[in-house]
Amino acid sequence: MNGLQAGVWYAIAAEHDLPKDHVYRTMLGGHELAAWRSTDGGVHVWEDRCPHRGVRFSLGEVVGDELRCQYHAWRFGKTGACTFIPAQPDLKVPRTIHAAVWPVALSAGLVWSGIEPIGAPPALPPGAVLRAIPIARPAASVAHALVKEPLAGLALVLQPLDETATIVRGIALDDDLVRADHALLALRRRLEQAA
Amino acid sequence: MILYDAHHLAPCYAVRLLAGCLGATLDLKPLDVYPGHANQTEAFLALNPLGTLPVLVDGPCLITDWLEALAHLALTHDRAWFPAEHAALIGWLGMARDLGASAGAARLIDTFGAPGDAAAARAQANALLDEVERRMWFGERIGQDWLIEGPHPSIADLACFVFIAPCEDGGLSLRDRPALRRWCDRVRFLPGFVSMSGVFPPMANTGR
Ligand code: FES
Repeated sequence: MNGLQAGVWYAIAAEHDLPKDHVYRTMLGGHELAAWRSTDGGVHVWEDRCPHRGVRFSLGEVVGDELRCQYHAWRFGKTGACTFIPAQPDLKVPRTIHAAVWPVALSAGLVWSGIEPIGAPPALPPGAVLRAIPIARPAASVAHALVKEPLAGLALVLQPLDETATIVRGIALDDDLVRADHALLALRRRLEQAA
Repeated sequence: MILYDAHHLAPCYAVRLLAGCLGATLDLKPLDVYPGHANQTEAFLALNPLGTLPVLVDGPCLITDWLEALAHLALTHDRAWFPAEHAALIGWLGMARDLGASAGAARLIDTFGAPGDAAAARAQANALLDEVERRMWFGERIGQDWLIEGPHPSIADLACFVFIAPCEDGGLSLRDRPALRRWCDRVRFLPGFVSMSGVFPPMANTGR
C-alpha cells in the first residue's frame, strides 16, 4: 500500500518549487513523479519516466510549453502527448506515445496530486508555506507523533514517499518560517533517533 | 595556462568549469589516474609531491591546491567570482572541501573503486547536503540565487557544485533537496558552462 490511499489529495510540492524552466522531482507512495510549469502558469505532474526508454523526465528540460527528455530529446506537450521525435522529424507522432499524467490541484501555495482524488484538496489556514522536511519514518508513525504532540501554530500535511519515509509539508500560521523549520527538524531528529 | 587534469575528478572539473565561465583558455594535460596512477610517476611527483590533481601552472606560478587554483583564476580574470568582502566565502570554500571528503569520496569509492568507507562518507555527506539545502532554501526566500549574497555566482558555487551535481553517482540523492536541484539548474545555465560525466549539460538548441 505504501501508505497511499486512492481518492485522497496529497501535497507533493510547494508552488515555489516550480519556477519556470525547471523540472521538479519527487515521489508519492513509491511512484516517482516529475512536475513542471508551462508558460500559462499551469502545473503538470507526470510519472517520472519517459515512455520511450524509461529515462527520468526530471533529468530533462522544459522548453517553452514542452518537456524534453534528456536522452533522445523526444518532446511532450502539456497533455502529456509526445509532440516531436528528433530522429524522425517528418513522422506524425502516434497518439499512443504519452507520458503517464497524474491529477493536479493548486491550493494554499501547495501542489496536490494523488490516485483518483475526490473533490478539492483539504483547506489549510492562511500563512506562509514551510520548507518541506523529509523524515525517514513511515507516514503512519509521523502522523501518530503529530497527534500525540501537535506542533503549535503549524498546519501540516504528510506526503508518503514510500513505506519507509515521509515528507512533512504545510503552513506556518504566524509566517515565522525559521521557528517552524526548527520545530520540524526537532521532530525529525526525535522520530529518526527513536527508530 | 597549463592544467594537469583528470576528467573524472571533481576538483579538476571545478577548474575547467570556472575557466569556461571566465572564457579563459586552459592547455589541458590529461592524466590517467584511475586506473593508470599517472599521478604517482616520478615526473608528476616532481611537479606536485602530494600527487594530487589538478595542478595549475600559470607562468611562474605553480598551484597544487584546487581551491587556490579557483581563486587564482578568479583574481586574474574577473574578481566578481571572488567576493573577498564576504567572510562567507571562507565558510563556503571550507564546505566545498568537506563535501569533497564526503560526497566526493563516496562517488570515487562507488564509481572508481577508490579505497574508503562509503557508508561513513555518505552519512557525513547527507548531513552537509541537508545543511546546504536549508541555507539555499532560506536564501531563495530573500531572492538569493547563489551561495554568497549578491547577484553574481562565486567560486564557492562552482566548488560546491562539482560535488553536489554528480552526488547520485556516490549513492546520494537530490530528490528531496529541491532547492539544491534548482541551484544546480542555475549553475548549468551559466554562460560558458562545461560538463563532466555524471553532470548533465543544458541541451542544445533550447533557444535560450
Ligand atoms: S528515453 Fe526519453 S527520449 Fe528516449
